Amino acid sequence: MPVWLQEHSWRQTLTAVYLSLPLRGARATAASIFCSEQYLKVSIPPFLFEAVLYAPIDDTNSTARIGNGNIFFTLYKKEPAMWDSLTLANADKEKLQYLRENAILKAHEKAKEETEAKKITKQEHKKYALEATMKLEEAERKRIEDLKEKERQKVTKELELWKKQQKDANKYKSIQKKGEFHQEVEQLKERKNEKMNKTKIPNEGTSKARLKPTKVHGSCSMFSENLKEEQLPAPRSAATIKVNFTPRAFPTALRESRVAEEEEWLQKQAEARRTIKSDLSELEDLKEEEKNPDWLKDKGNKMFAMGNYLGAVNAYNLAVRLNSKLPLLYLNRAACHLKLRNLHKAIEDSSKALELLTPPVPDNENARVKAFVRRGTAFCQLELYTEGLQDYEAALKIDPKNKNIEKDAEKIRHLIQGTMQSS
Amino acid sequence: MSAALGPERPQVVSHVQQALSYTVFDCKWVPRSARLLCLGSAARGTGLVQLYELHGARLELLREIEKPKPIKCGTFGATSLQQRYLATGDFDGNLNIWNLEAPEIPVYSVKGHKEIINSIDGVGGLGIGEGAPEIVTGSRDGTVKVWDPRQKDTPVANMEPVQGESKRDCWTVAFGNAYNQEERVICAGYDNGDIKLFDLKTMSLRWETNIKNGVCSVEFDRKDINMNKLVATSLEGKFHVFDMRTQHPTKGFASLSEKAQKSTIWQVRHLPQNRDIFMTSGGSGSLHLWKYEYPAQRSKKDSEGSEMGVAGSVSLLQNVTLSTQPISSLDWSPDKKGLCVCGAFDQTVRVLIVTKLNKI
Repeated sequence: MPVWLQEHSWRQTLTAVYLSLPLRGARATAASIFCSEQYLKVSIPPFLFEAVLYAPIDDTNSTARIGNGNIFFTLYKKEPAMWDSLTLANADKEKLQYLRENAILKAHEKAKEETEAKKITKQEHKKYALEATMKLEEAERKRIEDLKEKERQKVTKELELWKKQQKDANKYKSIQKKGEFHQEVEQLKERKNEKMNKTKIPNEGTSKARLKPTKVHGSCSMFSENLKEEQLPAPRSAATIKVNFTPRAFPTALRESRVAEEEEWLQKQAEARRTIKSDLSELEDLKEEEKNPDWLKDKGNKMFAMGNYLGAVNAYNLAVRLNSKLPLLYLNRAACHLKLRNLHKAIEDSSKALELLTPPVPDNENARVKAFVRRGTAFCQLELYTEGLQDYEAALKIDPKNKNIEKDAEKIRHLIQGTMQSS
Repeated sequence: MSAALGPERPQVVSHVQQALSYTVFDCKWVPRSARLLCLGSAARGTGLVQLYELHGARLELLREIEKPKPIKCGTFGATSLQQRYLATGDFDGNLNIWNLEAPEIPVYSVKGHKEIINSIDGVGGLGIGEGAPEIVTGSRDGTVKVWDPRQKDTPVANMEPVQGESKRDCWTVAFGNAYNQEERVICAGYDNGDIKLFDLKTMSLRWETNIKNGVCSVEFDRKDINMNKLVATSLEGKFHVFDMRTQHPTKGFASLSEKAQKSTIWQVRHLPQNRDIFMTSGGSGSLHLWKYEYPAQRSKKDSEGSEMGVAGSVSLLQNVTLSTQPISSLDWSPDKKGLCVCGAFDQTVRVLIVTKLNKI
């Protein structure tokens, strides 16, 4: 329950009221002052002072000063008059209540208005700042534009001047040419006119200094034109130069090739060549050349050609043990297995070969076609015709011009249709 | 921004822009005049030649000539200054030479190639250089043929692929080294990156190299001098400058390469009045102006004592983006320094002025 502060002292002039409240030891910082037009409340815990003022005051201009152990109010009266007392004496409780509430409402409204006003001014300030920067930028831009414009105009003027000169030169040249033609014809006829013409020519010549060189040209052009033609060399004797174009690993130009894939393929090939497992103990008693997968591959090919399929398979097996990354080994071994009717092994080897033949590039087209065909054949011999057909179609996709593959694919299709009908 | 506008750097000022109703493939100044030609293909598949004159701030159409086949390229290089006949190559492989005053019937016509003539160049005319006037055409059929307007129907030289060899499109040709009556050299660029230098005096292949990417444009800095520099531009924004004064027996010519922009560099053109300045036009609609600086010593001896060239350096003077479509053709005016015309695939032709070239 706050304690009412009764002691206060005040004095007044015509326009202002000076009110002084003792602080009584309470801390000044905790003081809160609420003031409206006709109501003043000061709360200094634990003290409380309120006053309903005799007449309205201008609360915006009034001030309060805290210091020296008291609060000093300077309240400016709305109407300059002498007050009988500081507060309304005959105020009853209800009136007081009403006045208090009114005062609070008014204060609220005022606060609201103030915030609004602040907002508006802030916005205006922002707008102003923005406009100012825009103006600056505009000015800069204009300056640059002006520079450019000036350049342009200067250059245009020069161009016009040059053009005029050209036109005049041409006009003069044509007039001169006509004049000279007549003059030269007369020159040939009469020597007397020569002298007159000679005096004429310098007059015309001096008016435009530029024309002197063209004049010389003009006078000799007619008669020496024929001579000039003869001075040109005869047309060259016809010949052909044969041209070779730069070969590339891939026959397509840089922009057409799928470089990334082709690089990958080349890398793989290079790597494959390098991985040679030479740490198998059984190989120690083999000859040097027998440890070379390429040599073994060749041996295998030869034996295949002669019909020695088992021998070929052996050669390929050894080669694969030495270097498991060469797709051609698997491809050829698949062919051997086909001949030996080891169909499952053939399928395995063709699949392995196809695996190693990724990425698909024009370079390994042939190998891929062969792999598909061999696998397809193996499937068909196992009577797995649909898988076989799939492989044949894949081969056809790579090499659509191969008649044999087409024929075989047709045969398989018929077989499939035949079995479907019968079942 | 301020560096590009610095007091000494050349500026590229767009003087006139003209919208066209057809695709323009080539634009050329008519020598000794303020007139320019636009060559191209109309929407209905016919060829168009339009002659414009520069009047103040606009281009005035003087004449329009329509031909049955779209026209890809043209040159004034092989005619005399009085005649100023235009030589054109069209999409059908025909080489025609026209008198623009009487364009109904060509002065010279031959079905030179089986496929489109991609590029044409002329030498011996316009009072530049010496020797017989000749025109070279490069075509998609892989051959490069040299024609003399005085000889009908057969070319005077033919550079064709060996029998059985797969052919590569020839995209660009240029004459060079025509400093006297006998000497002449042709440089051809192909779509697989091959650049070949043919010597017409000895009728042989003098040098070849491969720059990996298709060659869009080659040009010597001057046709009529002992060959000095060759610029070759390619796809993917690269161009190479070769120093042609010193040929090493195995290494060929020294070169430097520069990557200018991400897109194809369609054309390179040297300034007629200063052979060390050239402009490249790009697929992103931009133009770059370059200056070549020679090295302290243009040639040095290698370990075996043979001479080899030293490449210099190239610096970018200015660049500007004019269009969103590739600028496919570019031509400097031989009469006014800094005046140039460029044609782009957005169907506009622009006349530009490059300032302050005197101060370089």
